[in-house]
Amino acid sequence: MRKNTKAIRRKSIFSAVRVILLVMTLLVVGLLLLVSTVGGRFGTAHQLTLDFIGPLQSGVTRTVSGLSSIKDDYIALWNIRAENKRLHVLVDKYLKELGEYREGYSTYLYLEKILEFKNKSKFELISARVVGKEPTYWYQTIIVDRGKKDDILEGMIALAPGGVVGQVIHVGEHYSKILLANAPSSAIDALIQKNRTRGILKGVGEKGYVLNYVLKNAEVSVGDQIVTAGIGGVFPAGVPLGRVSKILKKRRGMFQEIEVQPYIDFQKLEFVLIDPTDRQKILYSMGLSSKR
Amino acid sequence: MLFFLFWLLGVGLIVFQTALFQFLPQSIGRPDFIFILIAFAAYRFAWIPGIVLAFSLGWIMDVVGGIHLGFYPLMCLLSFTALKILTTKSPVKESTYQIPLVGLSYFLVQMLFYFLYSLALPEELPEWVWGEALQRTVLVVISAIPLFLLFNSFYEIIQKRRSRVKPLRRRSR
Repeated sequence: MRKNTKAIRRKSIFSAVRVILLVMTLLVVGLLLLVSTVGGRFGTAHQLTLDFIGPLQSGVTRTVSGLSSIKDDYIALWNIRAENKRLHVLVDKYLKELGEYREGYSTYLYLEKILEFKNKSKFELISARVVGKEPTYWYQTIIVDRGKKDDILEGMIALAPGGVVGQVIHVGEHYSKILLANAPSSAIDALIQKNRTRGILKGVGEKGYVLNYVLKNAEVSVGDQIVTAGIGGVFPAGVPLGRVSKILKKRRGMFQEIEVQPYIDFQKLEFVLIDPTDRQKILYSMGLSSKR
Repeated sequence: MLFFLFWLLGVGLIVFQTALFQFLPQSIGRPDFIFILIAFAAYRFAWIPGIVLAFSLGWIMDVVGGIHLGFYPLMCLLSFTALKILTTKSPVKESTYQIPLVGLSYFLVQMLFYFLYSLALPEELPEWVWGEALQRTVLVVISAIPLFLLFNSFYEIIQKRRSRVKPLRRRSR
């Protein structure tokens, strides 16, 4: 009996506690709800809740965004392959076109330079396209597409915007051969522009020129300009030939060895200008009259 | 322990619902997972932990997504109380009725809150559209099926662990 009574008491106490707890919970909840609803202010509790949930949301959003971008990238890869192929074809096409444009522009610049030189010249120059080259050391020659038909004669000089190219040595009906000024068999009367010291400019192939017969006491320095002397009537005076690049003064001998760097890049010649004015002189010296 | 784990689950659902659903298209709607959890709590939880769970989760939802503070916890509390009263010592508690009851209560809660809003803030109230309200309800009902399965298994796993731990404690005494 006592045990039963105790159990009933315990039960009633327990249920009372539960009811109290429930009432307290309801009170707290109601109070919070009232404060939240009626006050309408975003208070500390709200802020704490937001600070608690915010990082979780941020983490999930970032993860999902990351996964989504990985998925998108993966899907995009499928399309990229086809796109890549298409673009490669386009790139090849455009590169080819670009090459053509560059070539065209380069030619334009070159021709513009030649035209400018031609316009500056006091005499009428005949332009000729280089159609062949003989690059061996001993025969530094080029073939141009002008010949007898264009009034080209042997002995005429060929020029370029940079200076002397060479001299016409063989003339065909439509084509001519020009001995380049840097050929070992070529020799031009030249002088150092700044002090008018004369010498003979000999060709040394790819190395350019060597100015011979300049006395040791002559004042020469690297960078001095070398021009044609105009002696002999082949080349007019003052046409640029090159620039002094090296000076050697040996103990023995009267002369110094002067290396000259040509202004013209003989490897890149595409057009030359042939000076026809000397034709009259040549014909005259040859005792022939020009009836043309 | 049971309360705490379900509270964590609720927090996870809130995060899931608020962070993940933004990537879904608006047209398909967004089911209210917290309402489903509260309905589950009404079926399975006692009054005190149920009220605390409903209020705290409603509070968080209110902070995360509410415009007028207090409405969401109030809705959660009312839903919990209504379902708890309805299911206590009633055949409606049976699993057969649980899911339809969730849908019905959700629909009624929507109507109730529309009514309350129309009294308190009529100027901010959008037009009541039966189709949309029904669509939302259907979505909740459809979502409630897998979620109830999940909650039930979660609940049973925790209960089993508790029942295993209790005898061990008694023996150790």
